[in-house]
Amino acid sequence: MAETVKLFVNGQEVEVESGKNLIDAFKVIGIEIPHFCYHPALGADGNCRMCLVGIEDGRPPLVPACKTPVAEGLKVQLDAEKIKKIQHDVMELELINHPTDCPVCDQAGECALQDYYMSYDHQPSRMRVPQVLKGKKMDFGGGVIHDQERCVLCARCVRFTRLITKTGELGIVNRSDDARVTTFPGRQLDNRYALNVVDLCPVGAMTSKDFRFKQRAWFLTRSPGICHGCAKGCNIYIDHNCEKGGDDRIYRFRPRHNHLVNGYFICDTGRLSYHQENEGRLAVTRLDGKDCTLDQAVETARRKVENARKPLFLISPNCTIEQMIAIKALAAARKGKLSGYSDSYVMAGDGDDFLIQDDKSANRAGLAALGIDITREGFTQALNEADLLVNFNNDLLRSETNSAFAEKLSALTVIAVSSHDNDLTRKATVAFPVSSYSEYGGTIINQDQIVQRFSIAVIKNDPAPNMIEVVRLLGGPITEETAITKAMREAIPVLAGIEATAFPTAGLNLKEKETDHVTA
Amino acid sequence: MEVRILSRNFDIADAHLLEVAKQHGAYATLEKVFAMPPADVTDEVKNSGLRGRGGAGFPAGLKWSFLPKGLDKPVYLTVNSDESEPATFKDRYILTRDPHLLIEGIIICCYAIGCHDCYIYIRGEYTTQRKALQYAIDEAYAAGYLGEKVAGHDFKLDVTIHRGAGAYVCGEETALLESIEGRKGQPRSKPPFPAVAGLYGCPTIINNVQTIASLPFILANGAAAYKAYGTEKSPGTHLFGISGHVEKPGMYELPLGLPLLEVIEKVAGGVWRGRKMKAVIPGGSSTPVLTPEEAATTTLDYESMAAHKTMFGSGGIVVLDETVDVVKLTKNLIDFYHHESCGQCTPCREGLGWMLKIVKQLLRGEGTIADIELLRELCDNIEMKTVCVLSAACTMPVRSYLDKFRSEFVAYATDRP
Repeated sequence: MAETVKLFVNGQEVEVESGKNLIDAFKVIGIEIPHFCYHPALGADGNCRMCLVGIEDGRPPLVPACKTPVAEGLKVQLDAEKIKKIQHDVMELELINHPTDCPVCDQAGECALQDYYMSYDHQPSRMRVPQVLKGKKMDFGGGVIHDQERCVLCARCVRFTRLITKTGELGIVNRSDDARVTTFPGRQLDNRYALNVVDLCPVGAMTSKDFRFKQRAWFLTRSPGICHGCAKGCNIYIDHNCEKGGDDRIYRFRPRHNHLVNGYFICDTGRLSYHQENEGRLAVTRLDGKDCTLDQAVETARRKVENARKPLFLISPNCTIEQMIAIKALAAARKGKLSGYSDSYVMAGDGDDFLIQDDKSANRAGLAALGIDITREGFTQALNEADLLVNFNNDLLRSETNSAFAEKLSALTVIAVSSHDNDLTRKATVAFPVSSYSEYGGTIINQDQIVQRFSIAVIKNDPAPNMIEVVRLLGGPITEETAITKAMREAIPVLAGIEATAFPTAGLNLKEKETDHVTA
Repeated sequence: MEVRILSRNFDIADAHLLEVAKQHGAYATLEKVFAMPPADVTDEVKNSGLRGRGGAGFPAGLKWSFLPKGLDKPVYLTVNSDESEPATFKDRYILTRDPHLLIEGIIICCYAIGCHDCYIYIRGEYTTQRKALQYAIDEAYAAGYLGEKVAGHDFKLDVTIHRGAGAYVCGEETALLESIEGRKGQPRSKPPFPAVAGLYGCPTIINNVQTIASLPFILANGAAAYKAYGTEKSPGTHLFGISGHVEKPGMYELPLGLPLLEVIEKVAGGVWRGRKMKAVIPGGSSTPVLTPEEAATTTLDYESMAAHKTMFGSGGIVVLDETVDVVKLTKNLIDFYHHESCGQCTPCREGLGWMLKIVKQLLRGEGTIADIELLRELCDNIEMKTVCVLSAACTMPVRSYLDKFRSEFVAYATDRP
């Protein structure tokens, strides 16, 4: 822990980290100071007045906690009647012009107004005069729908577009209770992070066109995960639900804070990539293009792998380290070639200086850590000699579209081990469906050399097997967890010193010295 | 009762022209000032006890001394000429009738605080005043009173006028700074105070037009001569704008400390049409109202006003005769502050609109005594919970009307006894 200061809350001495404001410092020790406008990534604005706290013997005696740094000996009053009354009064004023349309509002269940009403207000309305009417369901562009009447004018969204994306599409026009968030005439929200304003909005003023009216927040199970949309490895919440009589489905991705990786935000492409987890999946095993049982597929595939003279094992840069280890061992056992060639995952020039990367794969660094060749030369040479291609979920055809390649491929026997249905699975002699990243757990390394672990989020009614299970069925020698863990610790020595349960939630930075990770 | 310190050239024809102004003493103090060390100029102003004439009455010399020493950042002077408090019409006289007095004061202040760039923030509605001031500034540049070498001394000073766009809140000093910087006029949270981080993040002194215009007299005649006027804690003279139901409304320069009723009677000719007085607004619309009984013991200075639980404010005295409907007056008052609320802080943004609707409902004959109680409670709930004091500028007078003229509100209630 960094340097600390001792101060008093409601007369009780507490020790908190120095350099923080009261809201952040107290949050760590489990004390909530209600607030709408403050957000750690956007700084303190001080407009909502919900975080006003008393300072005993202070000048002034009443301060916004968001703008007040912790200080030695400070006597903060949170439970004084005067402070409780202010919280109640501010809540009343926030709500007088609020439509209170919770039954049709997407935010219901995860709304600061609802939560704070229950905690700090809980009084019937005294509003006996007409409310201020403003714009409803305004399409701001970027997949964002805005409701000006629900808005509490905290300006988080405005500050986001000014401070984070630096695109400045949003502003507050008019004054007094006619003030409202809007876009410039004829202009729209136009940046690749626009949907973050939906998460930032403490109320239901900003909703996502993609998510709205799909699910009530309280039905969703919130599981941590890691976005596989690019090499950044942004931390996400996978919000999913299995409706009665249906299957477990993902309804949205939301950013999960990780100071080492993505901070508080994710890009819109990553956010909407959950659709690919739900759709276009390979559902059944196939033999020569026809549905078959797993046993039939395994029997054929195993024979082909055993009989192949020069098998080529192609591996996806999205696979986990564990999967890569299992496949690598299988390739070695069968004296085949192993390639991680995956140029098709790189979209040169698409990345930016914030989160989005050119490389659209999640674990290319993992291929490097295991010494797996990813060159085009290595791959084409192996392919020219090969009589069997076993493809582990590599979306090869995204870039290899020339006819010579297709011709070469059609001459080969192909075994496709795939989470999604595509041209390759349809042409394959044998196709195995496997789970996708929301359905398995494992270890990946992002482009900044940060090792991250994630676990199973979604459990389907009829779960596809993990790729490692298919490797086992095909005769892979290393498929047991203990064996894989041992191999992983050999390949990435820093992991050897850390028990699985002690793995840091924010991940492990390989660029730092090993000693940095030794906990005292 | 009237004195001629600030207003000494007001009645002289063409005193706004440099040539005429110089004949009547304009820029005469500069030689003396430039011969003094800057710190001595500040001390002279401190000793004079001059208090800020914008409304808050903060001692001017003390404010200057808050500037951090030894910074490598520029220091700015910003002259607040937003003059938008209802019932206030004093600075406009200086701007049109003796603008060189203001420029001379600016030179004195800038020399004292080490400022080389002064901005005058003038309200957008003051078009005539801006033209007059700009003309005077141009003349001062041409004559060498502004520019690279002020009055031939090794001191550079540029003065720029910045026009507002008609927002009351831009008279609040940090909203004013936001406006000059090109943003929406919304007050900043303090600390940091402008003396530490103001215009463009640099140390900034913000003074009212009348405060700055008071400097030439103080430096020419010394602090003691200034303190000869007024009271111990409220020295000097003030431009009072007396309006409302009096026989002779107008702008009068008076020493501080005179009895309020005597001034209304002798200077402004008393309540018009032989009517009785209902109340007096002592210093602009945001100051709590005084009943005739309270006014009888009030003198025109900061300490007497505070003792009567009101404020000296901007010197805008409004006399209300017996025909005034206090409920309608309250509606107009809230209407103004609701319209001018910047909309930043929740209590002011939402609360003033609610209060306005409640009073309107009462006036329509649809309100109850419970609404009057609610109105009174909202004053307490909103006041001082916000970044700036605009909300208090509304709730303080409204509370005074509710408390002192409650029966008039009750008379509108449907459930009146």
